[in-house]
Amino acid sequence: MAPAVEVEVFVCGSPDRGDDGAAMTACEAVRTELPPGVHLRAVGQLDVEDLLAVPPEATVVIVDVATGIEPGAVVELPLADLLETGTIRPRSSHALEVSGVVALAALIGQRPLHGRVVALGGTRFALGDVLSGPVAAAMPRFASAIREAIEHARSDQAVTGGAAACA
Amino acid sequence: MHDTGLPTGTSGDLVVDIAGLTRVEGEGSLRLRVRNGAVEEAHLEIFEAPRYFERLVVGRTPDEVIDIVARICGICPVAYQMTAVHAFEQGLGIPIDPQVRALRRLLYCGEWIESHALHVYLLHLPDFLGYASALELARDHRAAVEAGLNLKKAGNRIVELIGGRAIHPVSVRVGGFSRTFLKTEITSLREPLAAALEIALATVDLVAGLVPPDFQREARMVALRHPTEYPMNEGRIVSTDGLDLAPTDWLSEFQEGQVAWSHALQARSRDGRPYLVGPGSRLTLAADQLHPTAAAALARTGLAGEIRTNPYRSIVARAIELVDAVAEALDIVEAYQPPDRAATPWTPGPCTAAWATEAPRGMIFHAYALDERGFIADARIVPPTSQNQAAIEADLTIFAPQVLGLPSDQATHRIEQLIRSYDPCISCATHFLQLHVEDVG
Repeated sequence: MAPAVEVEVFVCGSPDRGDDGAAMTACEAVRTELPPGVHLRAVGQLDVEDLLAVPPEATVVIVDVATGIEPGAVVELPLADLLETGTIRPRSSHALEVSGVVALAALIGQRPLHGRVVALGGTRFALGDVLSGPVAAAMPRFASAIREAIEHARSDQAVTGGAAACA
Repeated sequence: MHDTGLPTGTSGDLVVDIAGLTRVEGEGSLRLRVRNGAVEEAHLEIFEAPRYFERLVVGRTPDEVIDIVARICGICPVAYQMTAVHAFEQGLGIPIDPQVRALRRLLYCGEWIESHALHVYLLHLPDFLGYASALELARDHRAAVEAGLNLKKAGNRIVELIGGRAIHPVSVRVGGFSRTFLKTEITSLREPLAAALEIALATVDLVAGLVPPDFQREARMVALRHPTEYPMNEGRIVSTDGLDLAPTDWLSEFQEGQVAWSHALQARSRDGRPYLVGPGSRLTLAADQLHPTAAAALARTGLAGEIRTNPYRSIVARAIELVDAVAEALDIVEAYQPPDRAATPWTPGPCTAAWATEAPRGMIFHAYALDERGFIADARIVPPTSQNQAAIEADLTIFAPQVLGLPSDQATHRIEQLIRSYDPCISCATHFLQLHVEDVG
């Protein structure tokens, strides 16, 4: 019997900063229904080190709230496509955007990263803010998209971050 | 007429508007007004709200404050925690076990390693090597970036162990920590730190060989200075022009003021002079207290003088401090003996409390007033970037004319590179930079 493929779900954001906490709230809703081999990790700000620590056989799902997409809109796409779009900008990034972190991790790790990203467009990020109207209304769709991304995570195409480096 | 390719207005003066600074911690912009080749105004516009926290902590207990202020920054939460906890212990007269003190210094070393490694390798090094981002740098210099990440990881491990988690640590308590640490836990850091020391030393060699833009100036530098150790948790506030204050007395020399172009208050001396805090200031004022390994590394570079006068050399200062923090952390690990108790018991009560420590980006000051119940009645939090704003603007006023004749993208790059030299920690966003020049003279 083949071992179950593990899925590492990285939950980004800060719960005390309005829409930035929506990823944690949505993942809390799906926590109890996770199949075996799926692990939730609250990372706040996703670092390259987080992705480098992913076991080679595992796939990843990155859940975040972002600017650059319409508030309340939910985007779910393969990691490879994230590098192409360049439109998703995490509001709470302290250093590198998620696409840069993913590409850098693939490049440094010299192996492709497989998985999905689920992003919700946010608009209100100040400390102490509550969820904005569009984000609050989108929470059920956001949770559904996270469930679907976890299901899809095993079959997505690889991200190399630079063909030459990861060939 | 200039040939920068930058947008110009109609009145003759030049306004340079950099709408979003990249690879700095936070969201800010820069506006320069230039007349006849001289910069009349340099406005670093910052959109952060530290005063939000100062209201948020009112009515809270000191231990709650320590957790709350960690939320101010994801890069330097330990700096906020350390400054607050020292302030409360100073105000309430709480003695600290020497091993607790050592653990706090170890925790701070972890944050310095994380922050400096991030800045050197992912934020600033691409500038010097001609890359637009860390990703592009990694495509050609994968091993260097990987080394930098491994260095940062050593810092992560310290903060995760001592702080309880990697980001926004939770273990610091007034009087000590929330738990004691076994010797085996602490010695587990030995191996990664030993490896990190080699990387840190190589980092010094790497960055000392970079060619910085030609820029010299004399800035008033301010840092903590401790009689026996490189400044971190403790020391007196000193300056390059002879200032010498207790760490509780920041307000007697400095004051914050509002400027129209920034959400953050700007700190200056009470006589209006700007001043600079950060690695360059620390090395200028306390290099004789570096760990011997770091002191030897600094001597090898021969750049102590340039670190003082050329802000682009701050990348060397950070590399030296990486060596210092790793070497010091190793010493603490080797000497560690578990304290008898996690924290000194204490009794809440009224007091005024203040302290200054050295965050990775420079000196940070906190002051609190506690009411009769021991709850916070008033708070003041002065982060390094608020203190550096005026000095950054002063440096830009001197430097910008050198690059305004360059094409727009090059001018933008050189100005951004200078701003990144101060590693400003503005808020919680990284965006792109747009350069706009309006000729209005």
